[in-house]
Amino acid sequence: MDRVLRALEDAVGSEYVSDEEFILYTYSRGIDGALPERMPEYVVRPGSTEEVSRVVRIANRYKIPIVPRGGGCCLTGGSKPIEEGGIVMDLTRMNRILNIDFDAMTVTVECGITWAKLNTILFEKGYYTGTLGPGSGMSAVVGGGLSHHSVGGGGGAKYGTCSEHCVALEVVLPQGDIIQTGSNASIYVKEPFCRFGFGPDLLSIFLGDNGIFGIKTKATLEIFPRPEYHECKTFVLENPGEVNAAKIWLEWRKKGDLGIYDSQYLPPLTVIAYAGLLTEFPFIPAWKGIDKGIFWYTLEAYTEKELEEKVKIADEIVKKHGGEELGEKVEDGNIARWHYEMHGFWQNWHGLWNGIGPGSIPCTTEHHVPIHRVPDIFKAFEKWEEENRPLLEKAGAFSGVSTAILCGHTTVEVDSGLLVWDKPELRELNRKLWISQLQMVIKAGGMPYMTGEVYSQALVDTGAFSGPYFEFLRTLKNALDPNRILSPGKYRL
Amino acid sequence: MVEFKHIKELSSMAYSCSGIGDCRVAYRQFLNWYGVCPMVDHTPGFEPYYARGKIRAIKGLLEGKFEPNEEFARVMYQCTTCGACKAVCHVSGVESITWPTSQYLDHTRLFEALRADLVELGLGPMPRHRVILDWTRKEHNPYMEKHADKLKWAGGRELKSKGEVFFFIGCTGPYRIPNICQDVYDVASAAGVNLAVSPEEWCCGSVALRVGDRELTAKLAKHNLDVFKRAGAKTIVTHCAGCYRTLKKDYPELLGELPFEVLHVTEFLARLVEEGRLELVEGELTVTYHDPCHLGRHCGVYEEPRKLIESIPGVKLVEMRRNRDGALCCGAGGGVKSAFPELAVSIAKERLSHAKETGAQLLLSACPFCERNLSDAGAADPSLQMQVKDVVSLLNERLKK
Repeated sequence: MDRVLRALEDAVGSEYVSDEEFILYTYSRGIDGALPERMPEYVVRPGSTEEVSRVVRIANRYKIPIVPRGGGCCLTGGSKPIEEGGIVMDLTRMNRILNIDFDAMTVTVECGITWAKLNTILFEKGYYTGTLGPGSGMSAVVGGGLSHHSVGGGGGAKYGTCSEHCVALEVVLPQGDIIQTGSNASIYVKEPFCRFGFGPDLLSIFLGDNGIFGIKTKATLEIFPRPEYHECKTFVLENPGEVNAAKIWLEWRKKGDLGIYDSQYLPPLTVIAYAGLLTEFPFIPAWKGIDKGIFWYTLEAYTEKELEEKVKIADEIVKKHGGEELGEKVEDGNIARWHYEMHGFWQNWHGLWNGIGPGSIPCTTEHHVPIHRVPDIFKAFEKWEEENRPLLEKAGAFSGVSTAILCGHTTVEVDSGLLVWDKPELRELNRKLWISQLQMVIKAGGMPYMTGEVYSQALVDTGAFSGPYFEFLRTLKNALDPNRILSPGKYRL
Repeated sequence: MVEFKHIKELSSMAYSCSGIGDCRVAYRQFLNWYGVCPMVDHTPGFEPYYARGKIRAIKGLLEGKFEPNEEFARVMYQCTTCGACKAVCHVSGVESITWPTSQYLDHTRLFEALRADLVELGLGPMPRHRVILDWTRKEHNPYMEKHADKLKWAGGRELKSKGEVFFFIGCTGPYRIPNICQDVYDVASAAGVNLAVSPEEWCCGSVALRVGDRELTAKLAKHNLDVFKRAGAKTIVTHCAGCYRTLKKDYPELLGELPFEVLHVTEFLARLVEEGRLELVEGELTVTYHDPCHLGRHCGVYEEPRKLIESIPGVKLVEMRRNRDGALCCGAGGGVKSAFPELAVSIAKERLSHAKETGAQLLLSACPFCERNLSDAGAADPSLQMQVKDVVSLLNERLKK
């Protein structure tokens, strides 16, 4: 038996290590329709921080790279090897809630727990994590969300990205040392409660890092009482919808805290697709006949009076900018109610899967822009599509912005990308189009957050990072990971 | 390159899987989802142990990315084909929003097609399945029992072999839990229905179909169709959820439109109860109910068993947190009980723990296969032991004699 395999078996137990070809194959792809498959040599499923550390030390001994992986639903190739070989570390066995502290108002979890499992348990106790992670939260895990600054699975307008509420992390460093960060950096702090203190915020380098600086094993997140009152409304928005949506969001923000929990704008093409006019499968039949964009919000309040007043202000602004309200019920097309009351937020993106028919799949170019730049980015997409029309037609692909989501302070998550066909013979063409669009977004000032393989490399390839900044990133990486063990290839490191 | 005839026919289904992975462990309080795949926590849990990984592997086979081997087959057979993956796949939870994938991806069908290919390649079914199927060819049941003993359960009951309402007794009942057959027969009799039972009935073919032996399935199905026709059956009643799914959904695909209706015994008895044809005695009892996968998720029968339970005076039904289409499989189906008995019991222990949490005095089900596996789990772990019974058996106990 090979020495590495034996060492890995000693580290995590033989049951949880595999070098079987068919198992390795299932870890060779992400969920995009374009990136090349890269087979690891081993897959391990550790069950504790100590086991993670042991595997990392073995990887250093034998100079074998590791790709940490959570729910395996990264859309940009972050949870599969970028180069052939190495170890994929599947962290989903580590999925327990370790402590809910109702006084410090935090929850401590193992990072392989899904956002949906965590929040379902918190909901039952009247709490939530505010931002509920990504729109794939039934599958995506806390560790992956924090590695991507995830947002989009609910609560982004009120709470921002999930990273903002992380107060402590346990991390296995690239050479196997285990460190505590945030509140827990001091051995004298009894329970985690606040990220900032003890000098520089070293916890932050592990947020959004895509697993290049360490492997997150435990996280402590803030929790919030889930308000008793809420309203959910959906509107048809007058053209140009992206201009009106941006005006509404900016005006809301300038009013102060209106309690907006979520808000999205779906451009006319998305609405037409959801109404079923592009394929034989209508997703939301109630939207049939609408040829404009859809705008919706969910708003939370702690008293009935507060709710009434805030809804009044929010509605006045929506209506001033061309919003016409749909009926109250989900069957009237009020998707906001489905999102909030029926926990649809973790299926935020399911409409896109197979959105143009069986076998179609997204290649995302999602990114952040400030509210006032939303119309500009829509224009940039139109221009790119015009320039790439022949290739898009050859690939049979759809391109555009599917949704824009208010998140953070004045940030909008623009969910853009391609819908391509998941066919082996089209993967190279899909990849070419995808990279071209990613580079366009970066040059148009978009800020990617789920960087994975393809976006992280595009950031370097476009020269987006200034020389000194990239050198700083490289110096950090080299200092922490001299053997180039964790996630090699991301950011071309 | 190896041919994969059966999965090739369903390749558009395989390529419909986006790989988002909700089939592993989805939670959604609104829909009572508190987990999905029974395999994830009871096996090494690598990707191919649950639906997304299986489908990705199927794509790999279709693209010639790896050669299947015995270990691959072993993992592909560690699936109860319970259909929990399909129940959560792109399912919005409201009728007015339909994500398209849910309309054309049938996971169980795909996995059964893969098994059919593995059988043709000589990699499937599992060794224990081969023994069982050989016996079924010879004695028409998978329990290594004599066909001639199939009606021993009847005791002194005078059975008629022809009639409009035909009782398909299956194999698990007569050979392993004979009182279920007695209870079904006696409750129907009490309601004034004299069920027809044929000594010519063979295994329905569910076992063969689930493990990939389509040739044997077809042979068994054709034989049984002749039996039903000769009996003059207009309604087939069965108490086994596996038989029910096979007769109701698979036979029409194999044999074309059937000249009779197929009912699960809970559907049949619920009609009789509604007509006021059963008199039941009162007695306080708190029960919980386990939805058999082949009855619930595969055929959508959730309410009839519950109606029957609630029709018994004094009986209070408390639901497990995971119920109806979110129910955890008992662990026995899809050939797992025979090929991987420890795995089946391990999953059943988890299910028993759900039942225990409810505080119920009795765990009811509507499938002898579930009853058997759940009872085995209780026997294996005394801390989880709980009386397990069929809904019809409870009904029979409460008949006014």
